[in-house]
Amino acid sequence: MGPRVRPRWFVPYVFLLPVGIFLALVFGYSLVAVVIQSLRVPGILGVTNWGLGNYHGIFGDPLFWRSLGDNLKLFLVIPVMTVVGLLMAVLLYERTKGWRIYRSLAFLPYILSVPVIGVVFSYILELNGVLNQVLDSLHLHFLVHDWLGNPNLALWSIAFIIAWQQTGLAIVLFLARLASVDEQLYEAAMIDRANWWKRFWHITLPQLARVIEFFVVISLINMLSWVFSYVYVMTGGGPEQKTYVTELYIYEDAFRNGLSNLASAASVVLLLVAAALLFVQAIARKGVDRIEV
Amino acid sequence: MSKVTSESVREDLTGLSRRGFLRLSGVAGASAAAASLLASCSSSGSSGSSGGKVNLLVWYWGEQEAPGMQNFMKKAVARYNSQQSKVTVTAVLQSSDSLYSAFATAAQAGKGPDIQYLWGGTQALGDVWLGYCAPLSDYIDASWLRENIPQAALAQTNWGGKQWGMPFYQIGTAFPYNKKMFADAKLNPDEPPVTWDDYTTALSKLKKIGVSPIGAGFKDQYLGGWLASYFGQQNFDTIEDAIAPFRGSVKYEGPKYTEWINQVQGLVKSGFFNDDVQSINLYQGQNLFTARKAAIVTSVQPQITSFYRTMGGNDTVGVMRSPAFGTGKFANSFGAPAQVLLLTKFSPHKEEAANFLKFLHTPAMMHLMYQESGAICPDNKFDTSWFDTETDKTMWHWQQTLPNFWYQYYYPLPFETNGVDPGLQQLWQPNGSVTAAVASMQGAINKWGEQTPEQLSAYKTWKPLPG
Repeated sequence: MGPRVRPRWFVPYVFLLPVGIFLALVFGYSLVAVVIQSLRVPGILGVTNWGLGNYHGIFGDPLFWRSLGDNLKLFLVIPVMTVVGLLMAVLLYERTKGWRIYRSLAFLPYILSVPVIGVVFSYILELNGVLNQVLDSLHLHFLVHDWLGNPNLALWSIAFIIAWQQTGLAIVLFLARLASVDEQLYEAAMIDRANWWKRFWHITLPQLARVIEFFVVISLINMLSWVFSYVYVMTGGGPEQKTYVTELYIYEDAFRNGLSNLASAASVVLLLVAAALLFVQAIARKGVDRIEV
Repeated sequence: MSKVTSESVREDLTGLSRRGFLRLSGVAGASAAAASLLASCSSSGSSGSSGGKVNLLVWYWGEQEAPGMQNFMKKAVARYNSQQSKVTVTAVLQSSDSLYSAFATAAQAGKGPDIQYLWGGTQALGDVWLGYCAPLSDYIDASWLRENIPQAALAQTNWGGKQWGMPFYQIGTAFPYNKKMFADAKLNPDEPPVTWDDYTTALSKLKKIGVSPIGAGFKDQYLGGWLASYFGQQNFDTIEDAIAPFRGSVKYEGPKYTEWINQVQGLVKSGFFNDDVQSINLYQGQNLFTARKAAIVTSVQPQITSFYRTMGGNDTVGVMRSPAFGTGKFANSFGAPAQVLLLTKFSPHKEEAANFLKFLHTPAMMHLMYQESGAICPDNKFDTSWFDTETDKTMWHWQQTLPNFWYQYYYPLPFETNGVDPGLQQLWQPNGSVTAAVASMQGAINKWGEQTPEQLSAYKTWKPLPG
């Protein structure tokens, strides 16, 4: 048997290089370009100045802070999605008859295209749309509202649609993790006469801790930077700019108002906030690891 | 004797070792990435010259607003190319969402179209102020422009003593109305209201017959600009009056600037709009007209022509101007804003591009545009015998006899998106107020000035043509 040839240290990186180049060009170049654009302060007739003027512009804009605030309001949906997803996963885990069909139906909204969901629900939630017509026919007139045209209701209507769509992911994630939990833990608990709640609190929840943490952080990032399609299609940021999320702020400045430099500055700020969330996730993960152990 | 290993056996069988497979995959992946990168770098069409022949690239829009415009451009370009031995024109239709962003990208790269279409007025001047365009008046004689193009159309993109945009087609803006509903409401179908009092009286009668007097949709945040431009100019005497708040020389307050908001509030409180205006889009509101659920809608000339042709002609569709309540010169005006084509700063063939723009203003091309799309080319040579609808004849008569002014083309767009739209939308709420609407609009002006000082300085140096 001949001597074993150790691969050189750089060989794995050579194989990663094509993908790395692709990612660097698509994401890295775009990122650098946006940062540079955010520092370009246009003067008249093509004169370009450089500095933090665009950042002053957005930080001094009440609409920018209101947009961030609307994203933060959407965070309130996350506990709802998590709890509903958890309960439904636990119920499905009981393997009642037809549970596979229920699981598929629960996950179906998640695989639908967001713009399609937005367009369909726009029609359903119009003042004279399907929902209000059904409520009217059931003599539930007090429930008839302008779901998308009322500034006090529009954002929560969108939040409901987001929750409807994203809860399916929670159910599937939690169910998958439940399937890998050691059954002996539950058997031991039942031998000790632990009731359903105690089994759920002391076994199910700790075992699901990491996947719950993953889902919560992913949802936080989604609520911050992945709700544009819902808002753009369903309300356009109105009424009265009461559904003006940060992505829409960036879009409107870039594509409608022709202020791409301001939009770039807002994009950089959004990126930094998302990065901060990821940092929080890394810290939270350490705590979760302790719980699981 | 060579050693038999599992690796070598596999290689014998497949002709490829694991190491070889990984090596090939890496090369294939890099090649695919490089190929997709090169493909994405290609532009839509190309400008330049080859073999002594000049290639002109035109990026345009308009099919969405005046259906048939794409057919017109194809035929116009084909005819021009057949007449020219040294110039070849390529015209590429742009999408609404990327019209401005694609041009900004091209301008910053210094490479792209020779001629760029933009929506007119300040929506074109914004790119002029960024230095993306070359002055048209440097390549087309001022006397030609004066003799051929109506001054009101030139004024919309005239800045710094230079003409920047060549008016391409105009979109006369008016209110089509359903004559049969008017007759049902005991109104004269051939004499629509002209004064504000007559207008509100007519709306009350229309409401009684069970239709929405005015069909509209505000959800997509476009209606505000229409309402501001139909009603917001009525106490102005000059373009100077319109742009004064944006220079910072006056506040957006007082009857001169805000009476129109009171009038709109009156329409809202009287229930003259459809009840779902806040939850449907602009086009859905306009569709209420074709669905015969609304008596009057906002619209533009090519669309009005389409209504006329599809809803029963002169028996069903009439057209009316904004009713007058104001006391300024523009109280009785007609808005016929012009979309424009501009020479790009980085084009190496500006002379040739200017010649093509003049070609689009020949009688044959203007007639072809009207035939294909129903759109009117703003030109003093436009032959009114080409009109085939009564609504077009009516709007043309207004344009010749009344001041032509479209407010939206003189204010910066953020004023509309951040001030007019949210300000007017809150009028539909129980506690909505004109005071809050005015505050919204002045706040938008302040913010725009702070965020875009270069545009503010452009307004301060703007000496508008009389219009």
